[in-house]
Amino acid sequence: MNTQTSLLQKALSNPLSLAGFIIIVCVFVLSMLAPIVAPYDPNYIDVKAILLEPSIQHWMGTDGLGRDVLSRMLYGGRISLLVGLVAVGISTAIGILLGALAGFYRGWVDTLIMRIVDVMLSIPSFFLILAVIAFLTPSIINIMIVIGLTSWMGVTRLVRAEFLSLSEREFVMASRTLGAKNSRLIFTHLLPNSLTPIIVSAVLGVAGAVLMESGLSFLGLGVQAPQASWGNILTDGKEYIQFAWWLSLFPGLAILITVLGYNLLGEGLRDALDPRSGTNH
Amino acid sequence: MSPLLLNLNTAICLSLTLLVAGCNAPNEKQYQIDYTTQFPQVSGGTLINAMTGEPSGLISMIAGESASSAISSNIFNSLLKYDKNLELEGDLVAHWEISTDQKTITFKLKPNLKWADNNPLTSADVLFTWQAVTNEKNASPYASDFLLVKKAETPDAQTFRVTYEQAYAPALDSWAGLQILPKHLLEGKDLHTTAFARKPIGSHYYQLDSWKHGEHLKLSKNANSVLGPAQIDNLVTRIIPDNSAQFLELMADNIDLMGLDPIKYSRIIPARPELQKKLALYKELGNSYTYMGFNLKHKPFDDVRVRRAINYAIDKQEIIDGVYLGLGINIASPYKPGTRWSNPALTPYPYDPAKARSLLKEAGFTDSNGDGILERDGKPFSFEIITNQNKEREKSAVLIQRRLKEVGIDVQIRAIEWASFISRFIKTGDFDVVVLGWGLGLDPDQYNIWHSSQQAPGQFNFIGYNNPKVDKLLEQGRLELNPDRRMEVYHQFSATLLEDSPIIYLSAGYGLTAIHKRVKGIDDPAPPAGIGHNSQDWYIPKSLRRNEISAH
Repeated sequence: MNTQTSLLQKALSNPLSLAGFIIIVCVFVLSMLAPIVAPYDPNYIDVKAILLEPSIQHWMGTDGLGRDVLSRMLYGGRISLLVGLVAVGISTAIGILLGALAGFYRGWVDTLIMRIVDVMLSIPSFFLILAVIAFLTPSIINIMIVIGLTSWMGVTRLVRAEFLSLSEREFVMASRTLGAKNSRLIFTHLLPNSLTPIIVSAVLGVAGAVLMESGLSFLGLGVQAPQASWGNILTDGKEYIQFAWWLSLFPGLAILITVLGYNLLGEGLRDALDPRSGTNH
Repeated sequence: MSPLLLNLNTAICLSLTLLVAGCNAPNEKQYQIDYTTQFPQVSGGTLINAMTGEPSGLISMIAGESASSAISSNIFNSLLKYDKNLELEGDLVAHWEISTDQKTITFKLKPNLKWADNNPLTSADVLFTWQAVTNEKNASPYASDFLLVKKAETPDAQTFRVTYEQAYAPALDSWAGLQILPKHLLEGKDLHTTAFARKPIGSHYYQLDSWKHGEHLKLSKNANSVLGPAQIDNLVTRIIPDNSAQFLELMADNIDLMGLDPIKYSRIIPARPELQKKLALYKELGNSYTYMGFNLKHKPFDDVRVRRAINYAIDKQEIIDGVYLGLGINIASPYKPGTRWSNPALTPYPYDPAKARSLLKEAGFTDSNGDGILERDGKPFSFEIITNQNKEREKSAVLIQRRLKEVGIDVQIRAIEWASFISRFIKTGDFDVVVLGWGLGLDPDQYNIWHSSQQAPGQFNFIGYNNPKVDKLLEQGRLELNPDRRMEVYHQFSATLLEDSPIIYLSAGYGLTAIHKRVKGIDDPAPPAGIGHNSQDWYIPKSLRRNEISAH
């Protein structure tokens, strides 16, 4: 575990990834505290306050049904983060499992899994997700599962490569010669030592999942009314972009900043991991 | 138009011009165009329009879609048409006669009618069109009205006579909707594949000049027009699928007219003086309404108490104010308010949550576990509202969701893209509740929507409404030719429907249109037939026209 802590410390010494880290923490805290900090109920409809410009009462204005955009943004942030984390959790779990199988057992298992990966990678994932969602009921749970099930290929490749290289290393060979079982080899030697690249890819994966959820909600296939998500606030804004700019600007910025935050942190972690960029490896 | 009338017109125009010139502030910039100036009627110019979907073809009895008929109604005539007050008058027909037993209609065509290619237009073309629309092979969605014709004959080249099995009240209306096609170009051709659908020859004000797929359709004046020439030379209809893109084009002066939603109509354009200066806004009560419909085959919607309870629980005025920004009317019958078919004695269900709660209780719904949601037989009262991806309908659904939650009903909302909405949910009957709209014809006959025989997949009674009393009234209404007795039948029909509450009327909305002020000659306020009724007389004064690039 020590390696990971020092990795984070090293990454955070880079001002850009520190900025990314701060952004993520802020978004997290604000979303978690949404019920406390949100000035209004996100679904409170006020037909007398339709499409109001940002003001003291409504910092980010109101939408087409007179709902407070700031409150909807805060609650929408929870959805984005939840989808991001759960989807990446699912894809990372699948990726680790398949990557470990392929990298450890090699042979036909490896060939089979890697060909499946190739097939999955050859299908544009956004269209695959659109097609799958069209057959299911759009809901947060389905979105999380579908995004998770269609984005595990990168992790699989990563884990497989780590396993392949690690199993040639002396400490693994030694352990194997001493008669360690496969499970012991995998869980005490191979997996802990491949964890850092997995973390990096997971952090970058969250950014992708947040974008994906926003895209699906924007197309009306994601989170359903009246629940708010950054993507569906953006859809409401599309129609009135020349007039109600606040409906497009704020969710757009939120998506941009959040994705940027994850990417900066992810890049920072990757650089910290790369032996050529560090000094104390 | 008589010369006297024209002179009078000019006189009024001149005085108005003076008046306007007098009122103008002296420091107004010289080059700024003042669209309020009046001009005498002149022909020429181009009107640019936009539509979201491209027509699949221009034989509208085959295409059966609004995009197709929007274009083809400028190219083809029907036997009859509606005038500005929605009274029937001859289009191709000079006069018509109904036999005393009311089963036979004889149409006399106007003399010397010609197609755009100079061939004569005769009763043989009308007969051919009737044969085409009733031909099973053509599978026209409009066939049912014309299948009731027992015998169609052409005693001479000017006369077309149809005989019905029994008197059929919507007959004349159906002939006003059927566009007459040229026999000499279509005989023996497959109407589904013929090139004619993309290169039509008609008889009306305009003919198709060019069609660039995915870009535009250009119509130009037909020299042989049977009703005389239109004023504007060219009608260009651009295909712009996205509504917001259309609005950008309207603001950029690249299209002359478009339909608006309430927010654009009453918030965006009024807030922008530069748009107000060049766009005139028109509002007319449309012949359509938005409703929430129950799937009557699903429990508990088979129970009239539940339907009425939900009707009481929904605040319709809130939807009209909040979603349509007041541009809607709360209705109690499925007819345009103010017309003779709309029953003035009926009043909509008021918003009365207390009554809703007591009706639900009567129907056996109680909140036994205290979670705020009612239950019956241990099952919570929860259902899904589906609608197509239409902003107004989605917003209405959100307001309904909130009001129903207050009386203890849990509602989910799902907005679905139009094509799969129709094919997967409406045609299969796989839904609880829909929020949708009906656009209606001018005849009060609504047999297709409410008669219990019209429930097959693809037919319009997809909510599964089955009421013998309504069935009987609908059948009676089709046979009744006396307008007063017919009105009585449809008033009774509306009253039964309201009491039964198979659907909840949410709002009869206004049609909202913005037209560039360079287009003159538009009737305002709109007559019953709508602002488009005299579009052949619209004109664009020379000085207000766009600089035209004659690339095509």
